[in-house]
Amino acid sequence: MTTAPEVNSLIPTYTDAPATDVVHVRGGSLNAVEISAWFGSNKVLEKVSLEMPANTVTALIGPSGCGKSTFLRILNRMHELVPSAKLSGQVLLDGDDIYDPGHRITETRKRIGMVFQKPNPFPAMSIADNVTAGLKLTGTKIGKSDREALIERSLSRAGLWKEVKDRLKEPGSALSGGQQQRLCIARSLAVEPEVLLMDEPCSALDPTSTRRVEETIHEIKDQVTVVIVTHNMQQAARVSQQCAFFLAQLGTPGDIVEAGPTVDIFGNPKDPRTEDYVNGRFG
Amino acid sequence: MTALMDPPSTPSAPEPTPRVEDVPRSIDPGLPRSDKVFFGVSRAIGYSVFVLMGAIGLFLGLQSIPTFKRYGLGFLTESQWQPEKDILGISAVLVGTFTVALVAMVIAFPLALATALYISEYAPAKFKSFLVSMVDLMAAIPSIVWGLWGFFLLQPKAIHVAHWLHTHMGWVPFFNVDTDPNAAPWAQSRYAASAFIAGIAVSMMVLPMAAAVMRQVFSQAPIGEREAALGLGSTKWGMIRAVVLPFGAGGIIGGTMLSLGRALGETIAVVLIISPAFDIKFKPLEIGTSTISALIAGRFGEATSAQLSALLTAGFVLFIITLIINTLAAMIVARSRSGAQE
Repeated sequence: MTTAPEVNSLIPTYTDAPATDVVHVRGGSLNAVEISAWFGSNKVLEKVSLEMPANTVTALIGPSGCGKSTFLRILNRMHELVPSAKLSGQVLLDGDDIYDPGHRITETRKRIGMVFQKPNPFPAMSIADNVTAGLKLTGTKIGKSDREALIERSLSRAGLWKEVKDRLKEPGSALSGGQQQRLCIARSLAVEPEVLLMDEPCSALDPTSTRRVEETIHEIKDQVTVVIVTHNMQQAARVSQQCAFFLAQLGTPGDIVEAGPTVDIFGNPKDPRTEDYVNGRFG
Repeated sequence: MTALMDPPSTPSAPEPTPRVEDVPRSIDPGLPRSDKVFFGVSRAIGYSVFVLMGAIGLFLGLQSIPTFKRYGLGFLTESQWQPEKDILGISAVLVGTFTVALVAMVIAFPLALATALYISEYAPAKFKSFLVSMVDLMAAIPSIVWGLWGFFLLQPKAIHVAHWLHTHMGWVPFFNVDTDPNAAPWAQSRYAASAFIAGIAVSMMVLPMAAAVMRQVFSQAPIGEREAALGLGSTKWGMIRAVVLPFGAGGIIGGTMLSLGRALGETIAVVLIISPAFDIKFKPLEIGTSTISALIAGRFGEATSAQLSALLTAGFVLFIITLIINTLAAMIVARSRSGAQE
C-alpha cells in the first residue's frame, strides 16, 4: 500500500482479493471547471473548480446543504435527472468534456460509476445478477466462465466474496445493509469504471461495515479514481489523499473554501473556517 | 425511583420503593367520547360494505335455487336460451362473455401498459397531469356513449379489420368467419355485430382503470434503484426493464385483472353492438354472440318469474366469477412489492 503511514495503522491489511487476477486498469483524471448549478432559480453552486487526479481518493467535506452532493452528481451526469436542474461549466474526464453533445450519457456514466448513500441493490435479482447488472444494462456480452470470473473478482475487490460465495443465487435484498452497500460497490466495479463516485457510502452503515468499505476504497484506488462525499471527518482523514472543503454561507451558493492534500487540510488548514470545521467547531 | 437516587438529606427514612408487579400492565389511555363516536360510525360504514356484498350474493344465491333445482348443472352446460321450449342454459353466453372480455383485454392491455409507461416515465412534467386527467376523463364517459361510438363509428371501420384478419389469418380457427373472404363483394354483414367489435368498445372502457393502476405503481418504483441502473450506464429503456417493470409487475397483473372483472360485466355497450346468438363458438370476428350481462339486459323486461330466476342465476354465476377474479387481483397486488408499500 502506498498510503500515508497514519492511515496504514488504522486500516488492517486486506487479504480477500486473489492476487492472481488483479486488473490493471488505470483510473481516469477528472477536472471540474467553473461548475455552477441551479435547481429552478435557486443557485446551489457557484463556479466551483476542482482537480481530481487519477488514482487518488478525493474527499468532499462540508456541512449539509453546501452543494457537495450536487457537485458529485454533476460529475457523472446524474444531476440532470432532476427536472428543474441546470448547470454551467465543464467536467473533463481525461481532458474531454463529458457534457459535450458528442459524448453519450450512457457511456459517460459507465466510465464514471456511482455508489449511493442508501444501498440500492436490485431486489429482484440474485447477488450474482446484481454484480453483472451493469453489463446487462449496457448490452455488454460476456461468456459464462468470464462472467463467473468477473463476479468473483468484483465481489473480491469489494471485500464481499468470502461472505457470499456460497449463496450467489440468493436475492441481493437478503444481505445486511453493509453487505448490500459492498454489493453495490462490486456492481459498480464490474463495469470497470475509470472513476468511482461515492455519495456518503457509509452514512447508513455500522462501524464494522464502514471499515470494510474504507478497506475497499484503499484496495481499488490503484485502478480507479475515487471521489467520496462524507460527513465523517475521521473517514475523510482515513481514506483520502486529497480533500475539498465546501461551504455555503447563508443564502449564497456553495463554493470550495479550501482544497488540497488531506494532510494539510486536517493538519495545517489555511482558512480559519476550514480549521473550525475539521476540528468540529461547527457544522 | 430507587433509594440510591433519593436526596441525601433524608438518609434516615428512605422512602419505600413502590412495588411493581411483574405482569403486563394496561397502558391504553382510553378514547375520548368524540373519538369513540367517530370510530363507531366509520367502523359501521366500513362493515356495511361487507354486509351489502354479502346481501347481494345471498339474494342472488337464494334466487338461483329454483333454477338449479329445475335444470341442475345442465343450466351451466346447455347453450340455448329458449324459454318457450323450457330450455335454458348459459354455456354459450359464458363463452361469449369470456370472448368479449378476452378481445377487450388483448387490446386494452398493451395500450394501458404503453399509456402508463409514457405518462410515468417519458411525458414532460408539464404534460403529465394533463394526460392523467385525460385518461381519467376517458373513464368518466358513460357506457352508453361508448356503445353508440362502437355501433356508429367503430363498426363500419372495424369490419374491414375483421375481414383483413380473416383473409390473412383465417387458417387460425380463432380468426375464422363462416363465409368466403375472397368473394367479390365480401359479406360485410357477416363481420358486423361481433364479439370483436363489442370487445373493442369494452377495451376503451377498461383501459383507463388498467392504465391508472399501472401508472400508480410505476411512479412508485424506488428512485434509488432507478438511479442505480442509470448510474451503471443504462439507457432509460434498460432502466425501465430492470427496475420499473419488475417493481410494477404486481400492479400490471392486478390492474389487468381488475379491468378483466369490469370487462366481464360490461353490459350496455355490448347490448348495443352485438346481435344476440346462443351458439358456443370461438369465432369473435363473426356476427352474433351474447354475454351474461347482455342476456340479462335483453330478457329482463319480458321475463316470467321462472325466467327471472334463471336470469338472476346467470347473474349469480357472473357475480361469483368476477368476485374470484377481483379477489385474485387484490391478492396479487397486495403480495407484490409495489402493493405492499402502499
